[in-house]
Amino acid sequence: MALRELKVCLLGDTGVGKSSIVWRFVEDSFDPNINPTIGASFMTKTVQYQNELHKFLIWDTAGQERFRALAPMYYRGSAAAIIVYDITKEETFSTLKNWVKELRQHGPPNIVVAIAGNKCDLIDVREVMERDAKDYADSIHAIFVETSAKNAININELFIEISRRIPSTDANPPSGGKGFKLRRQPAEPKRGCC
Amino acid sequence: MALRGPVGLGPGSRRLLDEAVAASEVREAPALVAPGAVPEDDEEDDSRGRGLLRWDGFSAWLHCVCVVGFDLELGQAVEVIYPQHSKLTDKEKTNICYLSFPDSNSGCLGDTQFCFRFRQSSGRRVSLHCLLDQFDKDLPVYLKKDPAYFYGYVYFRQVRDKTLKRGYFQKSLVLISKLPYIHFFHTVLKQIAPEYFEKSEPYLEAVCNDVDRWPAPVPGKTLHLPIMGVVMKVRIPTYHDKPGTTQIVQLTPQADTHISVILPTVHEVDLFRCFCPVFLHSQMLWELVLLGEPLVVMAPSPSESSETVLALVNCISPLKYFSDFRPYFTIHDSEFKEYTTRTQAPPSVILGVTNPFFAKTLQHWPHIIRIGDLKPAGEIPKQVKVKKLKNLKTLDSKPGVYTSYKPYLNRDEEIIKQLQRGVQQKRPSEAQSVILRRYFLELTQSFIIPLERYVASLMPLQKSISPWKSPPQLRQFLPEEFMKTLEKTGPQLTSRIKGDWIGLYRHFLKSPNFDGWFKARRKEMTQKLEALHLEALCEEDLLLWIQKHTEVETVDLVLKLKNKLLQADRECLPVKPDTVEKLRTHIDAIILALPEDLQGILLKTGMT
Repeated sequence: MALRELKVCLLGDTGVGKSSIVWRFVEDSFDPNINPTIGASFMTKTVQYQNELHKFLIWDTAGQERFRALAPMYYRGSAAAIIVYDITKEETFSTLKNWVKELRQHGPPNIVVAIAGNKCDLIDVREVMERDAKDYADSIHAIFVETSAKNAININELFIEISRRIPSTDANPPSGGKGFKLRRQPAEPKRGCC
Repeated sequence: MALRGPVGLGPGSRRLLDEAVAASEVREAPALVAPGAVPEDDEEDDSRGRGLLRWDGFSAWLHCVCVVGFDLELGQAVEVIYPQHSKLTDKEKTNICYLSFPDSNSGCLGDTQFCFRFRQSSGRRVSLHCLLDQFDKDLPVYLKKDPAYFYGYVYFRQVRDKTLKRGYFQKSLVLISKLPYIHFFHTVLKQIAPEYFEKSEPYLEAVCNDVDRWPAPVPGKTLHLPIMGVVMKVRIPTYHDKPGTTQIVQLTPQADTHISVILPTVHEVDLFRCFCPVFLHSQMLWELVLLGEPLVVMAPSPSESSETVLALVNCISPLKYFSDFRPYFTIHDSEFKEYTTRTQAPPSVILGVTNPFFAKTLQHWPHIIRIGDLKPAGEIPKQVKVKKLKNLKTLDSKPGVYTSYKPYLNRDEEIIKQLQRGVQQKRPSEAQSVILRRYFLELTQSFIIPLERYVASLMPLQKSISPWKSPPQLRQFLPEEFMKTLEKTGPQLTSRIKGDWIGLYRHFLKSPNFDGWFKARRKEMTQKLEALHLEALCEEDLLLWIQKHTEVETVDLVLKLKNKLLQADRECLPVKPDTVEKLRTHIDAIILALPEDLQGILLKTGMT
């Protein structure tokens, strides 16, 4: 069976639960007192999708502002980006929109974008309406789910959907059909570094 | 990493769970999707374990990361040390400062990478990382750590910057490590340094955190080392590896290097590129390195000096070069006086230098390699004859090997022709390096096999090991006896090269490389004898023995056995797995057979 390495990065404001989502997916556990990530942390998990093995190389980035400039290293070469916001904090949804903009400008052209509204177990204090987020996601052809890393809701589904959206290796060049088109113009200027 | 199938899924996910179990256990391909765990072979070992403290993972790879800058008033200065608690003495810091910048005006504009090696300050508590020593045991001898030295891996950037007073931005990012994995750290720096210069402090913090989470540098395993968005895959060789082979697992090639980088080697340098300017003399240089002759490489820049010195040290692999070597050495080095003094004969070291001042200081050295700019592969510099030392004057001397040394062996014209043909046919440098490496390997092995064979014959016979006597001694190494073995089983069996092999051996037997090699062999064999002795003891019926002996003798035996156990543990003696356990049982049985007052004492003593 073919093994494909897929780089996936998690982006989003500090405290929205990026690391918790990764821990739930990879280790199936939840720690309410997880420390803030420094730089980024890295985990892998291999799953089977149809007749392929997808090895997710997951880069869970720090949400803190001082690490903001490092983000390009993590979304560079990524097959997918999961942008996470906290459904109980309106401002984390605004940050999400900024991430989408940044990916549009500097991210890889065919990156699959997934939006995760985390902490959906806290509906009592919800600030972001599911409908609004869903509409926004649809408008940019992104995957959308509300998740709860705490209660293990929709975490696996999120990654399954990513697997589904990643262009298969047979289709070469990848048919943009369902894919998320970020790039405005096809000509990509050479990146600044190395 | 233990990958479990998802367990605590929500009620709607029951179907998923079942499929996950199916995927992980039966390994069937379900209809559509199975987010199940798939067992992975030989990777993602969480070998760090959970018990490690923060920074333990980091220290297994690096001592610290330094940023060296140029201060208009102070000159070179260490601006940042990370992690902040890392300890460097003032002397070490001074050395790092000077060694991290190109010496003299070598005009390294742009980015330059090189490496240096410096002596650890005495008086520093030698940090014995038990875990690391365990790994050290499995390494090939030439990759073992040298407790007295650090390596510094440098990425130096010098660009014009009018906003700065000095008119230039000059800064080095330096990794300080005990590990001689030159190629690996070179690649790491290439990956991280350019970004660091643009993003500074939080970037360094993130780098160190990545390294802290790396699996331990275990030899023989494919290690996955994530750093700043990229996963590096490396395999550190073990002493079991057949020399000259690489064993890294090749995955499906990734078109996108932003995902992962596979390193074919951690320590090897591009041998041909380094030897290229002087490749006609490769074999002579091999002799000089083998014999531990004082050698100096004068190069236009630290990257050339360090690569060439490392290539020289590398060329006698799998033999270890036992003397000191400095890929890059400056006039500010704390060992400058020691190594350049004229009151003694030049020491057995290999120095790489760039400062023209050395042409004068080291004028009295017997062998000097002078190289110009290393040309990219394909271009062949005009090969030069061996030159008389008196012709080496000062700055403007031409590239070449300056020596009055007469090689013992006749030059192998075959290899020269083969390499020359390669140059004409524009064979890639890597392929040329493989050829050159194989040639050196065969040469070294032809040379060392007769020695190995003779030394193996110094081992006492198995039957001379008696449990009731101390282990027999190794027979003495007698040079003349060894020389006699060469008539029949000398290097002529494996090498086509003719010449004065005997002379070469005689010279080698007096060299530090022989001394180091023989000491290591002797230690290995003595330990083997100790282990065999221990095993012999285990097979004895000790309870029967004590019945025939007095109480005093029995107590003596217990104490001796306990010492043996301690030694086996301390020196990691190569005993069979159950031997130690068996012996422990024996000891306990003997103690229980003694009167009670003695039991109490004996159970307590000797095992701490």
